Amino acid sequence: MTEKQISELLRSADRAAGPPSFGRVSAHQIRRRLRKRRLLWGGPGLAVAAALVVLSLTLWNRDLGPKEVVVPPEQEKIASLETQVKQLQAQTQATLELVHDVLARERQTQRLDALEAELASIPDPVEELRKQTDRTAFTLLYRADRLYRELNETESAVEAYEQVIQLFPHNRWADVARARLLEIRKPLINNSKTEGDSKCKSQSV
Amino acid sequence: MLLERFNRGDDTAFDRIVTRYAAEVAALANRLLGWPQDVDDVVQDVFMAAFTGLRKFRGDCKLRTWLFTITINTCRRHRRRLGRLRSVPLEDAAPNLYLNEHAEMAAIDSETFARVRRAVRALPARYREVVVLRYLQGLETAEICRLLGISTNAMNVRLNRARKRLKEDLLELIEVTA
Repeated sequence: MTEKQISELLRSADRAAGPPSFGRVSAHQIRRRLRKRRLLWGGPGLAVAAALVVLSLTLWNRDLGPKEVVVPPEQEKIASLETQVKQLQAQTQATLELVHDVLARERQTQRLDALEAELASIPDPVEELRKQTDRTAFTLLYRADRLYRELNETESAVEAYEQVIQLFPHNRWADVARARLLEIRKPLINNSKTEGDSKCKSQSV
Repeated sequence: MLLERFNRGDDTAFDRIVTRYAAEVAALANRLLGWPQDVDDVVQDVFMAAFTGLRKFRGDCKLRTWLFTITINTCRRHRRRLGRLRSVPLEDAAPNLYLNEHAEMAAIDSETFARVRRAVRALPARYREVVVLRYLQGLETAEICRLLGISTNAMNVRLNRARKRLKEDLLELIEVTA
């Protein structure tokens, strides 16, 4: 298919379509249409432009007028918002400080409780001393008992009992020691009594 | 002369310009828009634009070329507004083409021409413009390049691609008529 063939085919197709139809165009007609278009588009546009000019002039005059500080509403809004933000920040700060205080007090209370618990766990020294005394008295008494009953060393046992009574006179083991001494001395007293009776009897005889 | 008279405020000068170029402008608009036949709106728009812009016309090119430039731009705007030309499918063409093997080009019936026009209409705008200006308006390469604002190479590329597409679309038609 050559360029010439295409060209001929296209021209034939164009011719077959026939000439286009269009209305008469004249300068007068175009002027009228332009005028109408200006009225349609230019009128409102001019009105808007005039309104803008009037508005800007009004604003300009207001700026040049007495020096009143006219704060635009947007700036007022921004200022009030800033104040609110500052207030909120202050409130938040106060709340945080309060929370810190409460937490510190709680920590102190916990520490005090722990110390009290630790203190409570420490035994009473007086009681401890009393227990130690009691244990020592018992040990001495036990040793004295062994001397007296198992080893039959009565004199040493008596000394040990007397030592218990001397060292721990108010202890319960001191009472036991006294009882033991009394127990040891009883036959001796009885013996001396019998001896004294016989002496008396012999004298009287 | 006409321009000088128009610039002096002589409306008849513009009427003379319209009378001289209206048919050509209408034909170009008709071809660029895919042969809608009624191109009154486009012609009106073209001459209105010419009327408002004629005072700025510096005479760098022929008045006809200048009017064609306005026509091309007006048609592009018009096409964008309508946005329907490229959506015309080729399948809409007459399904049964009656092609006489021995017939001459002149004997091809109207349905065949309608198919050719649809094939041109189906081309992308940049190809269609080149085809119309070259084959239907018969303009020279330099003038086409000036009108479309493209280089010679670009114009040749577009023309080749347009021809290729037309060949593909109208292959059986060409074979019969060859």
